[in-house]
Amino acid sequence: MPWAVVYYKREDGSIPVEEFLGDCPVKVEAKMQAVLSAVADAPPPSFSGGGMWEAMHGDMTGYYEVRVNGPKREQFRLFCLLERDPPGLGEPLIAVITGMRKAFMTKFGKADYDAVRVLGDEYKATSPRRIAT
Amino acid sequence: MLVYENDEVNKLAADTTYRERRLIERMRDPEFKAEYLRAQSSIAQVDAVMRSLDNLREAAGISKAQLARQIDKNPASVRRLFTSEVNPELKTIAAMAYALDAELVVQPRKSRRRMRRRARTPRGKRAAMA
Repeated sequence: MPWAVVYYKREDGSIPVEEFLGDCPVKVEAKMQAVLSAVADAPPPSFSGGGMWEAMHGDMTGYYEVRVNGPKREQFRLFCLLERDPPGLGEPLIAVITGMRKAFMTKFGKADYDAVRVLGDEYKATSPRRIAT
Repeated sequence: MLVYENDEVNKLAADTTYRERRLIERMRDPEFKAEYLRAQSSIAQVDAVMRSLDNLREAAGISKAQLARQIDKNPASVRRLFTSEVNPELKTIAAMAYALDAELVVQPRKSRRRMRRRARTPRGKRAAMA
């Protein structure tokens, strides 16, 4: 059964991933959407996403990321949570929380990941889940 | 856990298609659409290769750990490969294919083969064939 792809919406109505995607090069955005569609059609534990979908580890365990390279040696990431039985929604979801970009051969800092987790924690603290509709 | 009460509860349950609607809108941009379709094809091929290898492994009755040992890899890393937790390297894919008595083949798409055949066929003969 395909999973739904949803965007997390903050209490103020903003949709972090939409803002992020709006700033991405068109080709990067398209590629990221194609990865999301593939994973939604064949969610874990199937192999899916063409190698551009990976589980995260360490402090980010529980998150999955879409990893796409862009022009000018820039790298783009979407951070997602998977929920088999999300409260109040009744179908399995890929919740896209937010995205970040960085230069090739650099790393996101702890503060960057902390910011992602803040949004993810906000999402997980709502019942039913607050998503863009 | 924060529980918010509002009239949107039922709507939320039913409406998870916001992203789909946005995707349909974005597909109106030819550049977006072309790249989306290109990426979709590429992803489908990589996924198909990995799933085929996993099917071959299962058909051969070989566990992921056994396959890992055959290609000198850590069992956990092979398990992660098949569950899409890490990006597979081509040389690992080739090694797994060899261990499973299979091989990777790259071939022209059917549409390209048709075009090439058409280009080689003289016009008169094409008309006779039609």
